[in-house]
Amino acid sequence: MSSETISVDALKSGKIIHNPELCRGCKICELACSVYHDGVCSSHLSRIHVVPDDFALKFPAHICQQCHYPSCYYACPKKDKSMCIDSETGARYINEDECLRCGKCSRACPFTPSLIWEQNVDSKKRYYKCDLCRGRENGPICVEFCPRNALNFQSRGELK
Amino acid sequence: MNQMYGWVGKILRVDIGTGEVKTEETSKYVPEYIGGKGIATRIAWNELKPNTGPYDPENMLMFMTGPFTGTLVPTSGRGSVCGVSPRIYPTPWFTYGTMGGDWAAELKYAGFDAVIVKGNSSKLVYLWIHDGEVDLLDAKEITGLDTFVTQHHLKEKHGNRTQVVCVGPAGENRVLWSTIQHRLSNSIGDAGLGAVMGAKKLKAIAIRGTGGVKIAKPDEFIQICREMKEMIKGGPTNYPYPTNDLPYRNPIGPGNQQCSHGCPLGCGKLYKNVPAGITVGSGTRNMMSHCEDLAFIFGESATHYPTKEIKDNYDGDMYTRETKAFGDRIGTELQVLCEGLGLTSAFPINYYPWFWVCIENGVTEIEGIKLEPEDPHFWFQFMKKVACREGAFGEIFAEDLMRAVDQLDLPPIVKKAAKFQFPMWGQPAHRQGRAYESQPSPIWINTMLHWIIDSRDAMASHHQSSFVVGWFPPHNEGKGGTPDSNMEKIKAAYKKAFGTTGGMEHGFDNLDDKTRLAIWQDNRAQIKDSLLICDWVFPAILHTFSSRKEYLEAEDYYGDIDAEAKLLAPLTGLDIDTAYIDKAGDRIRNLDRAIHIRNYDRSREIDSTGEWVYEYPEKSDGTKLDMKLFNTILDSYYKHRGWDKTTGRPTRAKLEQLGLKEVAEELVRLDKLSKM
Repeated sequence: MSSETISVDALKSGKIIHNPELCRGCKICELACSVYHDGVCSSHLSRIHVVPDDFALKFPAHICQQCHYPSCYYACPKKDKSMCIDSETGARYINEDECLRCGKCSRACPFTPSLIWEQNVDSKKRYYKCDLCRGRENGPICVEFCPRNALNFQSRGELK
Repeated sequence: MNQMYGWVGKILRVDIGTGEVKTEETSKYVPEYIGGKGIATRIAWNELKPNTGPYDPENMLMFMTGPFTGTLVPTSGRGSVCGVSPRIYPTPWFTYGTMGGDWAAELKYAGFDAVIVKGNSSKLVYLWIHDGEVDLLDAKEITGLDTFVTQHHLKEKHGNRTQVVCVGPAGENRVLWSTIQHRLSNSIGDAGLGAVMGAKKLKAIAIRGTGGVKIAKPDEFIQICREMKEMIKGGPTNYPYPTNDLPYRNPIGPGNQQCSHGCPLGCGKLYKNVPAGITVGSGTRNMMSHCEDLAFIFGESATHYPTKEIKDNYDGDMYTRETKAFGDRIGTELQVLCEGLGLTSAFPINYYPWFWVCIENGVTEIEGIKLEPEDPHFWFQFMKKVACREGAFGEIFAEDLMRAVDQLDLPPIVKKAAKFQFPMWGQPAHRQGRAYESQPSPIWINTMLHWIIDSRDAMASHHQSSFVVGWFPPHNEGKGGTPDSNMEKIKAAYKKAFGTTGGMEHGFDNLDDKTRLAIWQDNRAQIKDSLLICDWVFPAILHTFSSRKEYLEAEDYYGDIDAEAKLLAPLTGLDIDTAYIDKAGDRIRNLDRAIHIRNYDRSREIDSTGEWVYEYPEKSDGTKLDMKLFNTILDSYYKHRGWDKTTGRPTRAKLEQLGLKEVAEELVRLDKLSKM
């Protein structure tokens, strides 16, 4: 399938951009993310993962790219109820209450590893995906807390 | 059990001699003992028998976290390790160390607030802790490997996000100054607990957890974390010197790693892009170095010099010699070897000048090895021989300098110089104003009080108490010191915190203010090692500054000494205020004191062991004391502690006030409670 044949009817989304050159691996982004979303501090139950190589001192991070063509959204059997698009930011986000926990979104993600990750929490499958902290007054909390300016939020309007 | 916030609720107990694994509830110990060192101290009081030696199976090696560990609290993410240490001289006793990195947070995510290892294994093993489960595994494949390769191997085996603490060859060989190592350069070093891990035949602990730390009041907690991050955002190392061109004072640069999980600061670190030859995985790896690491000491010449007048007062025997600069590349390579072998990397600060005292007093070789401190090859060989206990030379120095000089036939002046470099508890001189750094009055009086009542080099966990003017010697104006106008601002912050500036006045007046300040700082140091947070920043009497300019121009220096309570309350949902925090710190210190009295007959006499060092003048301002003045200071300290002046033992009233009635009862039974 060539790119010309894809019909994109999804609203464009802003996204968070991680700069590994500025990142020093403190993982504050993960902690801010997890406490904001779930009232728990964790490097694992967050929607952004910094995965340092402690010996090479390199700091790549995994975070949803809010694709222009959101495969996850199209793969969801309950599109617009479970996998939704925020009308304000354009964020592709999971509505936990409606989620079937089928994992199709995670498998549809074009990135490797998938940027929608499955975690078992209290013996229940949950899917974690960046929602750009939709509805939060100051924008994404990870961007606000990053001490190195390694995270930037590019809003929908700023996208080329 | 009720839902716990802040703590994850379980303490893991492993007997690696028998393979028995148990858990117990953290709620047995909190909130009274906070976490970290506080819980370890309570467990040691309950279980550590007076005659337990460092290598006995009964000795416990306690890997501790605190309620802040693994959370958004700025500078959290630290862990502490406690146990009876063989390095303490002359009597191995119960002590502690702390380090940063990711392992402590990972341990909490795996469901445990602590791991307490007892027993000695008959063969080398490692622990694999993963999401509430623990396996004791054969360590054959990592035997003898350096700390980098050991970590890399376990990450390959158990997954890249596994966090590993381990010992290198030095720890396996029970070298007294071996480290428990994590990542490239986080370690428990001076405490000497690497040797205990070696004695237990525990090569490593690998940890992986996918849980989290529940927060009682998330919104409030986020708000307080934001405020505290703002208060300390300048970092503790970005402003002391007039220029920022000294490489080891620069803010954290590219290819460097934050020293601890959850720390927003960019502390000055030496980073040289030197291909350091670490053969881990593929490609050439880099190295990072902290204050006083080898790359720091030998890369640049780092030892502070006393002035000539003051040096002349050292009778020519104790003087400090500036370390030779070998250059960045050699400094870094020395450091790579040191961290790989698992040796504590600040050692040349004290060994380098001591070897020079040897040479200048006619001791040019020891056990057939020529002493050549100006030659980098000597140091490469020294570390290798020590870590492998190779030959008589390696065996002797593996026991560290104090025990080495006991075994060697040396001129008295050389033995005295060793004691000068390791003045108390067999621990290297640090922030005393004599051997290494300058530390003008009143700061050295304060740091002396920490040293004499602690169980190890206290300054590794009391940095903040000496920073205020320690960084900025008042006499040093124009050379990076604190201008008088800034001293006034510092004093104003102290006034705001304590209602008096007595603790900050130069000289020996206001002694009661000085000892009360030292007690407050020491209690807060207990809290800091229990929560755990960074001692370079907390307790925050002053806030930090992003630059020298900001430091000189700011009007209000006061930080926030209520920060710990403000963070702990929304984190745990408990009604905790600063008075509670101060009392808990006092409780942990008094319980530690009770252990030392019960198990090691700690006394005023023992506390006074290092007094003689302070009869030498401080390196920068020449202030010093004699026995009479020392006793006056100690009387005041004991009085404000609620301890007996003649014995240094806590009074019954003091222990009961802290809720330690049963501790008082046991000390009475042993006839070791103050009679007052």
